[in-house]
Amino acid sequence: MNGKTVVKIKNLMKQYGTGGTLTTVLKGVSLEICAGDFIAVMGPSGSGKTTLLNLLSTIDRPTQGSVIVDGRDVAKLSNKELSKLRRDTIGFVFQDYNLLDTMTLQDNIALPLSLNGVSSGICMEKTMELGRMFGLSEHFSKYPWQLSGGQKQRGAVCRALITEPKILFADEPTGALDSRSTRELLECLKRVNDSGQATILMVTHDAYSASYAKDVWLLNDGQMQCRLSAGASRREFYDRIADMQTSVGGDVPCA
Amino acid sequence: MRMITLAMQNVKSSFQNYLAVILSMSFTILILLNFQNVVHSDIFDGLGGANAEYIGVLIQVISVVLCCFMFFFLWYAENVFLTKRKKEMGVYVFMGLTNQNIGMLFLIETVLNGVFALLLGIVSGIVTTHLFQMILLAVSDIAVEISFRFSPAPILITAGIYSVMYLLFAVKGYISIVRSSVLDMVSASRKKEAVIQNRFLLLLKTVFGLGILSVGYYMAVKEGGQEVMGNVLAAVVLVIIGIYLLFGGALPALLLGLAKQKRILYRHERNLWVNQLIFQMKKNYRTYAMTCVLLLCSVTALATGFAMKSRYAGMVHFRNTYTFQFLSNQKELDRVVRPLIEQDNSIAYASEISVLTLDASLFETRFTYGNYALLPWSQVKALAEGVGLEFDFAPPEDDEILKASHMYMLSLITDHSAERVVIDGKTYRQTADTNVPYLGYFQELMSFYIVNDAEYERLLPYGQEWHAYNYRIADLEQLAASADKLKAAVSHTKENDTAMAVVDPESSDIAWIKVLYTICIFMFLVFVLAGGSIVFMKLYNDALEEKERYQILRKIGVSEKTLKKSIVCELFMMYAMPFSVMLPSAYFSVHALEKMMDTNLMPIYAGSVGVILAILLLFYWRSVSAYVKHTGVEEAGRSFCK
Ligand SMILES: Nc1ncnc2c1ncn2[C@@H]1O[C@H](COP(=O)(O)OP(=O)(O)O)[C@@H](O)[C@H]1O
Ligand SMILES: [Mg+2]
Repeated sequence: MNGKTVVKIKNLMKQYGTGGTLTTVLKGVSLEICAGDFIAVMGPSGSGKTTLLNLLSTIDRPTQGSVIVDGRDVAKLSNKELSKLRRDTIGFVFQDYNLLDTMTLQDNIALPLSLNGVSSGICMEKTMELGRMFGLSEHFSKYPWQLSGGQKQRGAVCRALITEPKILFADEPTGALDSRSTRELLECLKRVNDSGQATILMVTHDAYSASYAKDVWLLNDGQMQCRLSAGASRREFYDRIADMQTSVGGDVPCA
Repeated sequence: MRMITLAMQNVKSSFQNYLAVILSMSFTILILLNFQNVVHSDIFDGLGGANAEYIGVLIQVISVVLCCFMFFFLWYAENVFLTKRKKEMGVYVFMGLTNQNIGMLFLIETVLNGVFALLLGIVSGIVTTHLFQMILLAVSDIAVEISFRFSPAPILITAGIYSVMYLLFAVKGYISIVRSSVLDMVSASRKKEAVIQNRFLLLLKTVFGLGILSVGYYMAVKEGGQEVMGNVLAAVVLVIIGIYLLFGGALPALLLGLAKQKRILYRHERNLWVNQLIFQMKKNYRTYAMTCVLLLCSVTALATGFAMKSRYAGMVHFRNTYTFQFLSNQKELDRVVRPLIEQDNSIAYASEISVLTLDASLFETRFTYGNYALLPWSQVKALAEGVGLEFDFAPPEDDEILKASHMYMLSLITDHSAERVVIDGKTYRQTADTNVPYLGYFQELMSFYIVNDAEYERLLPYGQEWHAYNYRIADLEQLAASADKLKAAVSHTKENDTAMAVVDPESSDIAWIKVLYTICIFMFLVFVLAGGSIVFMKLYNDALEEKERYQILRKIGVSEKTLKKSIVCELFMMYAMPFSVMLPSAYFSVHALEKMMDTNLMPIYAGSVGVILAILLLFYWRSVSAYVKHTGVEEAGRSFCK
């Protein structure tokens, strides 16, 4: 908890369906994300990680509970204000990259900023800067289908970061990548987080990916079951995360 | 039958979505039915043999053109249905349906939609036939009684043509579904579609496109003699090829160049829509080129119609210069004829002139005519002054000659400068070709050349001299009274040989031109509507395919407003590109017509461009709302409100 609170949720509940098919996916989740955090949310498939992320990023609305982003209660915002909030304070990265195949990598990265009415000169400078940081400069004029998965995902991260969002949400960003691309991407994320350029909330089911974060939270059965903080080395952190994962299966509370 | 029920449900639920497409299809049926009905009716029989025959052929030709349109329309419509069905195939595959099942489902749905469009088209067609015939006759200015009779033949023919085409495409869709792989269906992703284009090819297309188009424009307006027909045909082919190359080359090259200029690209919503545009152009440039050609056709059709109308009026006016005309070997015929006319009519004006007819074998001219005659310059001048016609030609030199021709519908020869006329071995330089009706209707029957008086005297021994007497009465309604008396007075003996012509303003062997004029206006509308609806349907189809991309944009936080703005710009370009390429092309086409038909058509050009603009704006407006809806931009916005 090093900085100002960026996102805060309290007692979040989410149900899908109606009547007989009603399923409660989140059963009262509370958490707080502060500037400079790098949080990994883990949990088995179907545990509601994506649902949680959608609520946090205001794409979806909770059945109950409040979501406060950048000091503002999402429930009280008009559609327009919500759009603006999403545009200015939140960045997204998805498992399947979601780059537009109609434009080059550079145009993809520049897209959010150029659509915000920022001068084209600044857009260009920023794409160059991010491109250098993520090792993508020489691929700028390529189209998504000419890039590897890792390059695409790094591009997607650049696109999310170009508007300098207060928080970056990533839903299984390494889910479709091989181990080398995974490492490269995570190193990049760690670097931007360490340099104070991004606050990150990443959803993953993979302990290796989670070990790059500063904090790891475990979501299970619709509740936040426990959390771990990084220690001396990543290796040691990874072991602890792996232990936690196995222990959850047996319903043992966190150490 | 589970399939049928499912198909019915699908048709019901997607009816709103397909409404625009179904309406377009029924509209083509309506039009074809109306034309077929005219073919099978006898409304033009009253115009007399040749006229009715010409009109019949004309309307058959138009029917063929309409069938071609219908073909393209149904093709696009079927594509819309197919795209939509393919998008949803994943769901059905998971439901356990086989490709054949899904294909069958598509076939049933498509047939249901088609039958609905057919019924709608036929019913609205029957309802509008009477109106259509009335408009056709009213605009053509033809007075014929029309009775409301309807034979089954046009309905059967129209329904037959439509059904065959429609089923053809439906079966094509079925095959395409059956053949598609499960992977395609589930992922439905088209990520492999290359936006990158071969630079060299693009450059080549650009250079050739611009070159061919310029040559086409040049050919269209190039003055010439007999080769003009060839030039015009070449121009048509070159301009069409040029337009295709322009849409496949120069325009994408321009857009790609723009996309490289990041300083320009990263402003407003351009980054989004310019890139989208490049992608769509690569995929669909043929459609847009075709639309451009259709718009070009529409302007040309309208200009042709108006030129014909004005020429027709000119021809009627030309022919009606005089009411009674005589060609006689008698010098004093006027003394006999004039009193006869004046018994029942007053003479508005009259003229007299000597005519030297010469045997055709003495003449060598570019075109060979049946009857040749010479007029002495001084007498023509006197005649013109007496009747009040324009005549500002200086007396020809001994080796010069003037031609007095009649008005043609269109003259292919636009360059008369180097014309030569040879009479009995002597070559004359033709200095002018006038179509002032000095001799009225006679000018349609004979080729008159004006020479100076000395030449006329010199050539007298070669032929026979006649005297032409021309009278125009004040009240054309009273024509019949004098005509009978005059006919009795002319004789055909060797000593007194007189030929007479009565020009009746009512009877015209060229009345079919008036129908042609109406049809031209009609074709103008058909072409514009066809062009507009093709772009509309294409965009409609694109919207269905673009849905995913817009979902991504929404996901990364792009606001609905921004997306709408981008769509507004992108679709604007989709309509603006064919329109703006059409503008210069149509200008040259109209200009070429202007020359051939000697009519001022620039107001028509401006007017038709205005009408096209208005119609396209309407289509554009509809496209934007349909696009916003079908890409889910608006829906997404609404769901957040909840
Ligand atoms: N739109 C929805 N309607 C109904 N159920 C949903 C919807 N989205 C997710 N779910 C259900 O919610 C649960 C959690 O889904 P999700 O958040 O995607 O899990 P995770 O991302 O952790 O794998 C799943 O059981 C899923 O079936
Ligand atoms: Mg998930």
